Amino acid sequence: MSEPAILVQQVRRVYQSRKGFLFQEKVRTEALKGVDLEVAPGELFGLLGPNGAGKTTLVKILSTLLLPTSGTAKVLGVDVAKEPRRLRPRIGLVLGGERGLYNRISARENLRYFADLYGVPAGRQAERIRSVLDTVGLAEAADRRVEEFSRGMKQKLHLARGILHEPELLFLDEPTIGLDPKSARDMRQLIREQVAGGVTVLLTSHYMFEAEELCHRIAVLSKGKIVARDTVAGLRRLVGGDRTLEVEGYGFEDLELEKLRRLSGVSRIVTEEFGPKQRLTLRVPTGDLALEEVRSALGSRAELEIRERRTTLEDVYLDLVEEEAS
Amino acid sequence: MTVVRSVVGPRVFLASLRITVLQFLADPQWIIGSAAAPVVFALTAFEIYRFSSPTLVLFSILGGGMMSMWAQTLYGSGWATSQDRFLGTLEPTLGAPVGYVWVVAGRVVWNTISGLLGGALVFGVVALAYGRPLPVKDPALFAVLFVVVMLALSTVGLLFTALFVFSRYAGFVQNIGEFTFYVITGCMFPILILPFWTLPFSLAFPATWALEALRAATFPSYGGLSWGVAGDLVGTLALSLAYVVASWGLYRWVVRYLSDKGGGTADDY
Repeated sequence: MSEPAILVQQVRRVYQSRKGFLFQEKVRTEALKGVDLEVAPGELFGLLGPNGAGKTTLVKILSTLLLPTSGTAKVLGVDVAKEPRRLRPRIGLVLGGERGLYNRISARENLRYFADLYGVPAGRQAERIRSVLDTVGLAEAADRRVEEFSRGMKQKLHLARGILHEPELLFLDEPTIGLDPKSARDMRQLIREQVAGGVTVLLTSHYMFEAEELCHRIAVLSKGKIVARDTVAGLRRLVGGDRTLEVEGYGFEDLELEKLRRLSGVSRIVTEEFGPKQRLTLRVPTGDLALEEVRSALGSRAELEIRERRTTLEDVYLDLVEEEAS
Repeated sequence: MTVVRSVVGPRVFLASLRITVLQFLADPQWIIGSAAAPVVFALTAFEIYRFSSPTLVLFSILGGGMMSMWAQTLYGSGWATSQDRFLGTLEPTLGAPVGYVWVVAGRVVWNTISGLLGGALVFGVVALAYGRPLPVKDPALFAVLFVVVMLALSTVGLLFTALFVFSRYAGFVQNIGEFTFYVITGCMFPILILPFWTLPFSLAFPATWALEALRAATFPSYGGLSWGVAGDLVGTLALSLAYVVASWGLYRWVVRYLSDKGGGTADDY
């Protein structure tokens, strides 16, 4: 069995800061609370979680920018805390957003600088820069100043920089954040191409459909802990099933909800209120439950609206994060 | 799969130098710091002392030029690091498989060169205003020592720029320290007129020694520390080397500190 591309064992990260002026108070924030993670070579692994869950902290630890407070993390078999310099040429990091580039100079010059920093052989540099600019679709804009670029173009240039030295593993921290749909789709295609070329990718994202579309496996991080990790199908099973039934009506009583819970296959019911109206969201496995049984449990009310749809990753994510929060 | 062979510090140094030049050329506001300010300083000094002795004129112009060049060396390098923080390029740079000191060294050297160009401009403009070349004892030695002064300043710049990597508040320290530095290194006044207890602080900076050497070689009757040009040069080189070695260790520590405490991101700007 091959060695994992990423192996994280009981990683904790505590930030310490000070509050106040004269009488300073130490503030301790535990961003990661003993994270375990394993990513296989060639896998596209998604890391999801709400703001402040610890995703970026974990990516920074794995990309050697931050030290873990305790625990061990190995990337491509190299301990990130002990041998960062040995690991860095083999990994690429793409942080999302407008920043991270020299705006006053051209895309080509930006890449040339980072090619030198990351040790792309001088003889291959020009060809390599041309190749990545072509890959990300910026060949025409190569000699334009970055400050003239749209956000999408900047994001593509971030990716070009990340893959310039042909890393074996790529960390993508919210690579499509703020992009228009066309640019985001292009970016996803570029990510797929990297994986098809054998690159292992760890992706963080707030966009569930993106993670669902791209990732082989996903981990959900909440409050510094991994609360679930599996394939999308596995995560659906974890929250109770592939099917989601949304039932809208008025005045559902506890007894009726209890009847629903006892129906075969119903593993989870989420209740929401919209003024006088209530919405019940039920997760059920495929084929286990007929809509008529639900109607019957709720007293066959005339005003009942029942919709059935496939459980999305967003449903799964919200279930897991809300469960963790409660 | 990976094309990486090895990351060589000197290559990164040259890359950093190159990108600093490109940014310098792309950003016209640098002209104020590297060309306009030194000339203004020197012309002001010239106007104040133009009817005094030629030695005093040269002393003041030299001091004015040095102040500006020092500001360019430290401010430019520190600013470039702050700019890296602001642009969000500090993280990918720190994440590169090479010591950050090489990146800073490239920047400091360019800022030193631009300071040198500013200094040459000062002498050119003041010579024009004065109506004849400035009365330098040994022009060839003066030119060599001028470069030595700039190198000495750059080693101080290298060490002090670590503060900008360390903290986003380094600019405040620099603003306070800049004028203290002018006084303590004897940019404008000979350090011998300062209280005796300040002497150890003055002598801790290679720039002080380099300026002493420059003045000893420039003014026929300059007393100074009386160690002569050779003695001052030895002091300059020894201290400069010590600063470079200390910078090496300091940058390793600062980068490790940032990894430990977190920071260096655009959000920390």
